[in-house]
Amino acid sequence: MEKNDLVIRIAGHGGEGVISTGDFIASACARAGQEVYTFKTFPAEIKGGYAMYQVRTSPDRIYNPGDSFDILCAFNQEAYDLNRHLLVPGTVLVYDQTGDDFVPEIPPGVVAYPVPMSKMAKELKSYRSKNMVALGALSVLFRINEETLIAVLSDKFKKKGEEVLAFNLLAFHRGKALVADCPKKDPWFVPEAGAPKDVILISGNAGVGLGALLGKLEFFSAYPITPATEIAKYVATHLPKVGGVLIQAEDEIASLSQVLGASYAGKRAMTATSGPGLSLMSEMLGMAAMSETPVVVVDVQRGGPATGMPTKHEQSDLFLAVHGSHGDAPRIVLSVEDVSDCIHRTVDALNLADRYQCPVILLSDGSLAFSTQTVPTPKPEEIEIVERKRWDGEGEYQRYQWSEDGISPMADPGTPKAMHMATGLEHGPTGAPNYAPANHDRMQRKRFGKLETVADFIEPVEWDGEGPADVGIITWGSTIGVVREAVARLRREGIQVKGFYPKLMVPMPVEHYEAFASDCKKILVPEVNFQGQLSYMIRAETTITPIPFTQCGGVPFTPLQIMNKVKENLGWDVSLPQKK
Amino acid sequence: MGCVIATKKMMKPRDYKSEVPVVWCPGCGHYGVLDAIYRALAGAGIEPSQLISISGIGCSSRTPYFLHSYKMHTLHGRAGAVATGAQLARPDLTVMVFGGDGDGFSIGGGHMPHMARKNVNMTYVLFDNGIYGLTKGQYSPTSPSAMKAYTTPYGSPDEPLNPLLYMLTYGATYVAQGFAGKPSVCAKLIQDGLQHKGFSYIHILSQCPSFNTVDSVETYREAVAAIPDGHDTSNLGDAMTLARDGVNGGIPMGLLYQITRPTLDERMHAIVQGVSGHKGYDLNRIITLSRP
Repeated sequence: MEKNDLVIRIAGHGGEGVISTGDFIASACARAGQEVYTFKTFPAEIKGGYAMYQVRTSPDRIYNPGDSFDILCAFNQEAYDLNRHLLVPGTVLVYDQTGDDFVPEIPPGVVAYPVPMSKMAKELKSYRSKNMVALGALSVLFRINEETLIAVLSDKFKKKGEEVLAFNLLAFHRGKALVADCPKKDPWFVPEAGAPKDVILISGNAGVGLGALLGKLEFFSAYPITPATEIAKYVATHLPKVGGVLIQAEDEIASLSQVLGASYAGKRAMTATSGPGLSLMSEMLGMAAMSETPVVVVDVQRGGPATGMPTKHEQSDLFLAVHGSHGDAPRIVLSVEDVSDCIHRTVDALNLADRYQCPVILLSDGSLAFSTQTVPTPKPEEIEIVERKRWDGEGEYQRYQWSEDGISPMADPGTPKAMHMATGLEHGPTGAPNYAPANHDRMQRKRFGKLETVADFIEPVEWDGEGPADVGIITWGSTIGVVREAVARLRREGIQVKGFYPKLMVPMPVEHYEAFASDCKKILVPEVNFQGQLSYMIRAETTITPIPFTQCGGVPFTPLQIMNKVKENLGWDVSLPQKK
Repeated sequence: MGCVIATKKMMKPRDYKSEVPVVWCPGCGHYGVLDAIYRALAGAGIEPSQLISISGIGCSSRTPYFLHSYKMHTLHGRAGAVATGAQLARPDLTVMVFGGDGDGFSIGGGHMPHMARKNVNMTYVLFDNGIYGLTKGQYSPTSPSAMKAYTTPYGSPDEPLNPLLYMLTYGATYVAQGFAGKPSVCAKLIQDGLQHKGFSYIHILSQCPSFNTVDSVETYREAVAAIPDGHDTSNLGDAMTLARDGVNGGIPMGLLYQITRPTLDERMHAIVQGVSGHKGYDLNRIITLSRP
């Protein structure tokens, strides 16, 4: 099969402009009509440390960062050392030819382009121009669309003045000149794109923030936590522009408490956090469930437990999201697969919270948080907003009135004749405390029963393929994108495989799972956690016997890993490295 | 120019009484505080549907049940944080918080500083009986040192905290103290707190005859001393001295401190007005910022 994408990895020291170089390439490709999926790791240190930015680009839709890179641009020895094992035959190394200390050994089958980036930067009397020199060289070597790249640079640097722009363009052109006469020794180019598309290029975290605005968020409260803080930054920047209110709370307990208070007072309210914050919020989730108050909590998962690996990817908060809180505390849990989901599922979360008057937890994860992706530009007028059911003023108001669908009308404070108590104590229809056995049973039936129709209001799962399969893959979160590609590649190899991607985690759409699995010989469940949390839930809730496939090294799966695991389950010998 | 006459409805304390029977132990100081709350609300003339009363957990946190208003009975220690959200969401309404010493200064101690320093425009009435009453008598953060109680058979090893100094230090803009045995004084302090723009903290000493045998109504009655008329309520240093040393050794009763500064909702409103103007943004303008 012909490869129709290109993966460029830029690696260096924090402060060398690694991240901005990646951003420029990503933006230039997106403007030229390419799809883009980026992946980056920041140094854990505030200044310095290893930084990496990977851009995958293709004219076709991209679902994940890719198996590995085609091109490595190493700014220094450390960047080379850390990526040395990935320099397999067919890959390309572009490196800083310093002429002294950094002399990389070129592995067999690897094409190398030494480029004197630092030397040129020195000549230009600006160490910080090194990345622009590198960008110039890369643009020639791999045919990055020059028109859009220059436009991106102009937009970026014009704000800092004509002089700054002129200097950066000078460095860029010097970089180009350094490789102008260099013979091309590898086959890699940025693939040709069609016409430019109407897209935005946005990270998962900013996507959640944008989704919140599209979903008519009115109140936001959060406490800073990696890797979720960028959501608060986006919301803090833009929510006031549309009249919303936000606050940085003293801790996560307070942030969800404030969200609950604002929601009781009639506003669409949300918080965003990571695992440790969600742990702290557990008790208040129960309060929202008991008092039937709509709240939305976004959890951008990271490596755990405890402080764990704050900057690393993991999908290990499923149990916490599904079960966290004492007592039987109903809630809706959604998960997202990519940045587009971050936007649109956040709208779903706000709608579902209001419709069902309960906590809704949206699970994102570390690999999506900072990944920027091209997404069709959302159209606010096409977004459907579902508001909570409000009292019509007829008859006597009862906050927890019995109803067929279990949903009782709410009344905003200030409404005459609808004064009521929202309470964490078990209560009857009026909100008055009631510990009678029959009442507690009936109220729990109300609170759980009302969620039975959730799967009818959103797309609860996605199927990838129909009919009998030797292996069916069920996965969730950002692993879905990896599996989508693996499934497509396996099919091209003639293997009968299909995918099942739940977005509604609970209430678990059990019939969908059963229907999917009914004609699969085996069910494989890859997820990035230790315990196999979704596998556990599948065993508990369905008749399916899943084969868990877990890894928890702080990094996402690659399509190749999934493909090999499928083949292993078909009895193939996959001990030999598979060709890309 | 004619003079504008407010057409405020005359309210009576009973207008705030809910149908829920008040259940505290006989002799509990909280009856007096509740009475003061009814009178303060009537005095301030707040329409019940325009009031949100919020509590956490504890004997005094039952208060919202006895009030005719919008109300929330939330989790132990979290009433103030919930109330902050409600107040910011609806700054046009009156928000009151009710709770005890354990609820406010032990489990909820992490939230107290922030309501004060942010100057959330609401009124916090703290019923201090120096004990955990609902769980039948464990020592609290305001129990006297060496107090023998349910979990301290050999006496408590802790020193009590000074709630007034605490709230003054963290920047509350209205700090007062009353005693449940003097409901009319409490009513005045609470009413003034309701009318104060900003975070009002009213600390009320309230005896627990069931479990706190040290701080009885009689000992309180003897120990309290009215803050002298000459006290400068705008002077933080003087207020702190009063909170620390009392009035000639007596427990100070009355208004210790009151200043005005912008409230959190005012500042938020200013930010919103500053960035959005009157019209607000078209969402498409924000989306455009994410174009590559």
